[in-house]
Amino acid sequence: MAQKLSQALSISDNIQSFNNVKSFNNVESFNNVNSFNNVINVSTGTLDEDNQIREWLSPLKPQQRHQGVRADRLDGVGDWFLETSEFRKWGNGEDGTLERVLFCSGGPGVGKTYLT
Amino acid sequence: MIDSLCDQAGEKNLAVAWLYCDFLAHREQSATAMLGAILKQLVSMGEIPENIRQTFRKRFSDRGLRLPDVVRMLKTTIPLLPPVYICIDALDESTPKSRQGLLESLRDIFWESPSMRVLFTGRSHVEEEVKKYFAEVITIPVSPTEGDIKAYLGMRLDGDTEPHAMDDYLRKDIMRIIPQVISEV
Repeated sequence: MAQKLSQALSISDNIQSFNNVKSFNNVESFNNVNSFNNVINVSTGTLDEDNQIREWLSPLKPQQRHQGVRADRLDGVGDWFLETSEFRKWGNGEDGTLERVLFCSGGPGVGKTYLT
Repeated sequence: MIDSLCDQAGEKNLAVAWLYCDFLAHREQSATAMLGAILKQLVSMGEIPENIRQTFRKRFSDRGLRLPDVVRMLKTTIPLLPPVYICIDALDESTPKSRQGLLESLRDIFWESPSMRVLFTGRSHVEEEVKKYFAEVITIPVSPTEGDIKAYLGMRLDGDTEPHAMDDYLRKDIMRIIPQVISEV
């Protein structure tokens, strides 16, 4: 406990000294830094909001899961599916096509996830 | 498939989003979070559309995001995008409640979005549920091809951590019998 506390304290010390360095730098070339900061603030303001909006939309991260599936998948496995006429029509994206919703059905472990 | 769509997305200009349902993530995978994740992917490139920004500014401080908010934002965002492709894996792994919310909402959005395509994967028992919301669904039965099974077996045998326990005969038998038994299933 005591050790943890002292660790935390030394971390906060570090942060504090880091901040000091930063403010010292600001002082050194006050005018330039100031105007530079203004520019930065304007752009990071909206960038921050964009990221905040994406975070707010959902905590889920399906991209990460896809990276994992892709890494485990063997090249060429499931390619038969990409060649089916149903998938090709679905993927063609022509307006008015009947193939707008597909359901790939199969028991556990047949490799449905690796198709996606 | 997602990779194939993403490859095409560059050439043909498509917007692609996907979801993996997971037994182990029931608490996080509400219908709102799942549809939110789809919307998040659709707006991951380029600017956040104004309708989403406005809703965020209105909702962020007063209350959390709710399902009708996400559905409305999806309805107003999809027409701004190139054709939208949504892939949802392992639909059967979602809870019945979030699955109902997800399917119902997707259908509402789908009706207003002629450029939208959806693909589900799942065990056959959820097919009836999908049909209830999407009468036009086309089912493709999935089973691994013999070539897929052999490629997989070969990869596993090549990575064998005890190669001295293997000989050519055993390897041949494995490569012959396992694909045969699986294709009988």
